[in-house]
Amino acid sequence: MEKFTVELLVSNRYGVLNRITGLYARRGYNIDSLFVNETENPEVSRMTICSHGDGDVQVQLVRQLRKLYDVRSVVLMASVEC
Amino acid sequence: MDNPKQLTGAQIVIEQLCLHGVTTVFGYPGGTVLPIYDALYQNSHRIDHVLTAHEQGAAHAADGFARASGKTGVVIATSGPGATNLVTGIANAYLDSVPLVAITGNVPVPLLGKDSFQEVDIVGVTQPIVKHNFVIRDVTQLERTLRKAFLIAQSGRPGPVLVDIPKNIQEATCEYHGIAPEHDKTPAPKFDITDALEAIKACKQPYIYAGGGVIAAGAEAELRQLSERLSAPVGLSMMGLSALPNDYWLNLGMCGMHGKYASSMAQAECDLMIALGVRFSDRATGNVQVYRQGHTIIHIDIDMAEFGKNVNPHLQLHGDVKAVLTALLSVLPEQKNEQWLARVAQMKLDGEIVQTGQLTPQQVFAAVRDVCDDSTVVATDVGQHQMWTTMYYPLAKPRTLLTSGGLGTMGFGMGAAIGGCMATGKQRTILFTGDGSFGMNLNELATAVSQNLPLVILILNNGVLGMVRQWQTRFYDKRYSQTTLQRKTDFPALAKAFGAEGYLAETLPQLQEILANLPDGPVVIDCRIDIDEEVLPMIPPGKTVADIITKR
Ligand SMILES: Cc1ncc(C[n+]2csc(CCOP(=O)(O)OP(=O)(O)O)c2C)c(N)n1
Ligand SMILES: [Mg+2]
Repeated sequence: MEKFTVELLVSNRYGVLNRITGLYARRGYNIDSLFVNETENPEVSRMTICSHGDGDVQVQLVRQLRKLYDVRSVVLMASVEC
Repeated sequence: MDNPKQLTGAQIVIEQLCLHGVTTVFGYPGGTVLPIYDALYQNSHRIDHVLTAHEQGAAHAADGFARASGKTGVVIATSGPGATNLVTGIANAYLDSVPLVAITGNVPVPLLGKDSFQEVDIVGVTQPIVKHNFVIRDVTQLERTLRKAFLIAQSGRPGPVLVDIPKNIQEATCEYHGIAPEHDKTPAPKFDITDALEAIKACKQPYIYAGGGVIAAGAEAELRQLSERLSAPVGLSMMGLSALPNDYWLNLGMCGMHGKYASSMAQAECDLMIALGVRFSDRATGNVQVYRQGHTIIHIDIDMAEFGKNVNPHLQLHGDVKAVLTALLSVLPEQKNEQWLARVAQMKLDGEIVQTGQLTPQQVFAAVRDVCDDSTVVATDVGQHQMWTTMYYPLAKPRTLLTSGGLGTMGFGMGAAIGGCMATGKQRTILFTGDGSFGMNLNELATAVSQNLPLVILILNNGVLGMVRQWQTRFYDKRYSQTTLQRKTDFPALAKAFGAEGYLAETLPQLQEILANLPDGPVVIDCRIDIDEEVLPMIPPGKTVADIITKR
């Protein structure tokens, strides 16, 4: 399995974190680390989420995240073997 | 509008419904939706509200209305128990990608988060089963949010959206602008058909696997053209069933666990599978590794996340099914695959299964079909009777089958049939249900009676939870744990108690006689069928077409 990092820009509203982590939990991905901060635009937060899983899993997760209404962008960062 | 009007939140709800072309809503009142119901009262000439017996029935009715009409269904419920009663209905719509807007009341904003009377965090509860949901904490956000809700429900891959409106927001006033409904601004996906064209031109044994996405995209005509152009037989997923008329010669019917023999066989033997608007449900594929072997799969879908979720396609085309098919059809040459078609014709003969018994399911479907026309809407519940409907009821037009595919919800049928009937302007509508399923939501007979709907409810009464029992027969050595319904329900009498009509049919002539004299209002027909009747063929779960069971 690989460690991989996803960087998201999301709406800065209550409940959004819950929707993101809910998706991880529902589809069976453990979150290894999570970092959230407000961006220069107060309407937008940046989330950096580290998790692990194989290539197919990573792509599937990113596609599911993109479907969330509050998610503005998702970038799959480089992954490393673990 | 130049001078925006001042409206209450409840009035804004009404205006937004009208603006989005909603003429019928389903629901049930309660404390936290009183302002909305007051506005509905004052606008009853613009919006028809159907009061059901239970919020679950209302949600299924809105879902059935949406499936039959292609429009977004709307359901309204009060907070707390009203909202939680919607949950199964919302999940059902989610799993079948049905556009639905659910509006719930909630306690006033200052009481939110305090475990107030009838307060439930319905946004939290429904989060995993909606495309999106909203709580309105400021009345000035209401108009915009409702516009968004309709847009999200209808655009891309459709689905349910819930809008939770606290009571004080319904009472508060603000400016209403009445801007025209929003259109989807996301650019249409770009796709490149080059590789797919090559693969299609090279194939000798094409097979088209079509699902609900074809109907959602309104691409039924393009599907048929593609099939004719390539001489390709078509297998359908349960959600795709009404996409082609039953009598179209290349329509093999449903494939998968309880699919038709030829449909599953041809799918396994094809050299190219063109999968249109399907999600490769485990019920359709069985063992995925084997399923994928021996052919090239081209997957065409509007939802990017479907590629590789269950089955890894060899080629994928991301786009609206209609747009992709139109592009393919503009350049694809005609193909004749005579050997392949001869082989498929043989499969069709091999798969014939004859039922025996006093009154067989097959006979019931044939007799009912005789009194219906091509546009009659047919709803089902869940179980053996549902699978027999897919096998034996010849569908002719899109959106005439209302069935719970993804969630498999027993109790869906009554609500769905009511919604479907309303969507067709109260045309005669059929429900095929089971003695178990009917027990789940038969309270909605009251709704059918109060609305005087021409519903024909056929209970395929085998005295058992037949589908589960069939698995116990096949895989649990006939240990019939809790599947024998030792009930004494007199269905005709029950129907009469509700103010509907009710009959018993034990033989085919009896059934035909009843069907020849149908009343104008709802009628329940208790059709007695054999307890051991099975749904065949069957591919056991996780297995392949090589393991297909065709005989008792
Ligand atoms: C709400 C719900 N509970 C349980 C099930 C599991 N289940 C699937 S089919 C079935 C039996 C249905 O019995 P009946 O309605 O009599 O139909 P039959 O199979 O006998 O035609 C059951 C219990 C389900 N699908 N939905
Ligand atoms: Mg039964």
